[in-house]
Amino acid sequence: MMISGLFSVIGSGIAMGLGSIGSAVGEGMIAMSAVESLGRQPKASAKILRIMIIAQAVTETAAIFALVISLLLLFQAGTDSLFKGITYLSAGITIGLGTIGAGLGAGLPGASAMKGIGKQPRNSDVLTVHMIIGQAVTQTSTIFALTVSLILIMLAPTGGLLKMAACLGAGFAMGFGAVGPGIGDGLVARFANLGVARDPKNMGLLTRTMIIGQAITETTDIYAMVVSLILIFVI
Amino acid sequence: MEVITGEQLIKALALLAAGLSMGLGAVGPGIGEGFVGGKACESIGRRPDEANLITKTMIIGQAISETTGIYALVVSLILIFVV
Repeated sequence: MMISGLFSVIGSGIAMGLGSIGSAVGEGMIAMSAVESLGRQPKASAKILRIMIIAQAVTETAAIFALVISLLLLFQAGTDSLFKGITYLSAGITIGLGTIGAGLGAGLPGASAMKGIGKQPRNSDVLTVHMIIGQAVTQTSTIFALTVSLILIMLAPTGGLLKMAACLGAGFAMGFGAVGPGIGDGLVARFANLGVARDPKNMGLLTRTMIIGQAITETTDIYAMVVSLILIFVI
Repeated sequence: MEVITGEQLIKALALLAAGLSMGLGAVGPGIGEGFVGGKACESIGRRPDEANLITKTMIIGQAISETTGIYALVVSLILIFVV
């Protein structure tokens, strides 16, 4: 009885501890570029500050998902089933690892948008729209991780050794699987933002190419989600 | 508590390995495809006239970067259904 509760508490710690890495670094990159732009264009300070806060707020979503799961797991400490304990631990691993990529990924386009505004404050409206599209696509990897994590939390409390190993495997598959595509989506959006900053006339073309590139980058994430759903429901 | 046989233990470890295989296997292709897509966007920003050529090359480059992800998927499906 003690051990099962222990697993959900460990899961809660893993979720919040790992889950804060990506968003923290991402927001730092945005603030770094914003400060650099302020040094170049002190007159545009109000605009730079406003867009910095928007970009950081979007980047924060990944950490908020981790916080929600972490709190949910903290309230499950009284569970007396070893299988549920393992699924809670898996849910924590999924969301903890799954938010690293999206946090870093949302920081990259934010930072390049701040850099673009520092070069030419006139383009700020176009750049903000483009930045938010790029950051939103970046968050898909975390949303997959959140979905798998919630499925693991709500799983029926019956299962033996095989099912426990499958749930832990599902957590690792979705968690690690979301790291790469999250960072990759962010890289695509980062360079697309730099292109828009260079010449806002090309925005339509760049948005199209960015979304195609991000969709292809996202495929590995979808493989990871398919494998983790097979591990949860088929085994 | 029921007795765990060696066969069950192997199957359980294979399932855990399937998860690790797919998870870690997705890190590299994701970042690699991001580099391809990013640099393609940068080039289109510089030379918008060449957009079709750049998009075509981007898709080929990303498809090839994807192959290691597909290897990881195949290995993890083998670990789940065959072992």
